[in-house]
Amino acid sequence: MSRVGRFVDSLEENIIAFILALMTLVTFSQVVARYGFNSGWGGALELTRVLFAWLILFGMSYGIKIGAHLGVDAVINLLPRPLFRLAALLGAALTVLYAVLLFDATWFGGMLALENKGSTGGAYAYVAKFYKLPIGMEDLKWPVFIQEWFGVKERVPRWMPYVILPIGLVLLAFRAAQAFVLILIGKKDAIIAAHEAEELVAENKDVLKD
Amino acid sequence: METAFLFIFVFGFLFLGVPIAISLGLSAVLYIALFSHDSMSSVAVQLFNASQNFTLLAIPFFILASSFMSTGGVARRIIRFSIATVGSIRGGLAIAGVFACMLFAALSGSSPATVVAIGTIAIAGMRQAGYTKEFAAGVIANAGTLGILIPPSIVMVVYAAATNVSVGRMFLAGVIPGLIAGLMLMVAIYVMARVKNLPAQPWPGFKEIWGALSEAAVGLFLMVIILGGIYLGIFTPTEAAAVAAVYACLIALFVYRDMGPLSGIGWIEDEDGPLALTGFKAITYAVVAMLTWSGIAALVTERDGVFGIDSAIVLVAALIGYPLLRGGVSAAELPGTYAVGGKVWGRNLGIIGLKFLPALFHRDTKKVLTDSAKTTIMLMFIIVNALLFAHTLTAEQIPQVITDWMVEAGFNWFTFLLAVNILLLIGGQFMEPSGLLLIVAPVVFPIGLELGVDPIHLGILMVVNMEIGMITPPIGLNLFVTSGITGMSLVQVVKAAAPFVLVLLLFLILVTYVPALSTFLPYMLMGPEIITQ
Repeated sequence: MSRVGRFVDSLEENIIAFILALMTLVTFSQVVARYGFNSGWGGALELTRVLFAWLILFGMSYGIKIGAHLGVDAVINLLPRPLFRLAALLGAALTVLYAVLLFDATWFGGMLALENKGSTGGAYAYVAKFYKLPIGMEDLKWPVFIQEWFGVKERVPRWMPYVILPIGLVLLAFRAAQAFVLILIGKKDAIIAAHEAEELVAENKDVLKD
Repeated sequence: METAFLFIFVFGFLFLGVPIAISLGLSAVLYIALFSHDSMSSVAVQLFNASQNFTLLAIPFFILASSFMSTGGVARRIIRFSIATVGSIRGGLAIAGVFACMLFAALSGSSPATVVAIGTIAIAGMRQAGYTKEFAAGVIANAGTLGILIPPSIVMVVYAAATNVSVGRMFLAGVIPGLIAGLMLMVAIYVMARVKNLPAQPWPGFKEIWGALSEAAVGLFLMVIILGGIYLGIFTPTEAAAVAAVYACLIALFVYRDMGPLSGIGWIEDEDGPLALTGFKAITYAVVAMLTWSGIAALVTERDGVFGIDSAIVLVAALIGYPLLRGGVSAAELPGTYAVGGKVWGRNLGIIGLKFLPALFHRDTKKVLTDSAKTTIMLMFIIVNALLFAHTLTAEQIPQVITDWMVEAGFNWFTFLLAVNILLLIGGQFMEPSGLLLIVAPVVFPIGLELGVDPIHLGILMVVNMEIGMITPPIGLNLFVTSGITGMSLVQVVKAAAPFVLVLLLFLILVTYVPALSTFLPYMLMGPEIITQ
């Protein structure tokens, strides 16, 4: 693997591990603050929720990369090899479609010339709309020193947490497209994992075999 | 007509090998794009907002706690304790295997993790004692499914999130069925052991039981934190999970020391001398006894502070009593015992203090965090998309249509539950449990309410179905895992597991038609469930 590849690998792993650790510590510290010091921080719950969303939405593309997303392979395994590859390619292509439609669906209705024009907007339109509106999060506030240094408003603007939505979808589309190419040139079999414990089993493969 | 597309999409995608999450999400997205005027913005935002559900927030923390507890040493200690307690019954090692799986299930919400952690040690042990490999593998594959029935359980959290029942109730409801399922497996093993004349282990004596218990207790205390914390109202299930994750991390790194910078460093070294163990135990037991006593006393008397003069009395009594009565130390040696015990404690606290931060950033810790994050992402991506799909179903009034149809067709609670069982047993063959639950629950939940089925009971029934789905072909997670670690073929494992699957099917019938098994404990401790819709 190239140096850039290794760097991106460890970057992605570090980000998801860091988000999970931070979520745990924020929630844990709330319990400690409540019983130990009879206090608490109003924004903690909202921060944890935002982190949770970031973990999932950032991580979904990583899941495609490492092939962690579950799928049913019982049927396609019965297919002859060329058809299996076709199904695998379709799986990757549909994942791209999923990401693109959620990012922006306006083109879809137009392309199919639907009578009702289909639905419009998407993740990008949503964030773009809120970027222009001065609406803040409910409880999530900037720390005082950031308010003073940068002269920002008290509340974290609403578009900021949500910005992971379009970013995550773009990353998902990119990883799925990458997987599509890899399947096409024969470097990858499929984008799905047959069951959730594949890694666990691989680590303990045949430990009890005679 | 249009709704037919929704189902054609989802099943078509699933069987073409599209990831489950994408199959569910894309079907909903396509349906909305093709047939409705809803803005796609609001759909995209649902992806974000699905994770805003406070109940679901418990899932990453439970996964994290479970990963820390799945490090080798915890399973070994639990197995030692299980063999010490039930090993001397005929077929004892297999019964101990079931018992160990039950205990491990109470620390971890994951079935495959249970099979690997307990199975790798227990199956090897059973083989050495003269059991056949098939028997050993069959026992563990089945007992491992108890992971999702005995609380804490991720599948229960998902059900609670999907139907708005309380997680605490679901956890409580799982206790009695979990014990019964374990007992039924044990009885089946005992009968087989009588017939096949399987060996029993020698009776190890109470000293070994106590020793094994005190080692395992530090890990098993996690159960007390989660269940006790929730029922005493100390924290919410989500907070309980976060506390459990932190506790499990500290225990794995600093007490059991199976991972991290302290791995391989024992609590007591040889050069500490013969009195070290007694002194160390005296201090440890005294502190634990004092804390336990104070906690219970504070609960019972509802006094202001946790500690009182009685705490000090318990502390001193245990400090003097243990070395004299159990440690075989004479009164004159007492000061020396405390000194060396104190020295051991001091040294260990010193190491822990010194290595505290390095341990938190150790590569082992990072690996557990990364693995847990991967599992969370995989599971939650399915869950948010299943929620998207379920939302579309509900928006199209599909559950309502099915409810009306079933009530009109004359279903009563008895036949309804039978139908739910069959639906889930079939669905469980192809779908990941959490995803299936999120799709089926919004459909069957209102029907159940209409027909007078208790929502908690319905939840337990669904969990038991998921359990059986894990050990029946073609797609049984525990079958794959067992086959993977034992090197047996899938067919061999299916055959080996079959007799015990029959036991679990019997158990399913019991749980289905005796609602009290599930509802007794939550009703007794928390009162009847009030459903607001």
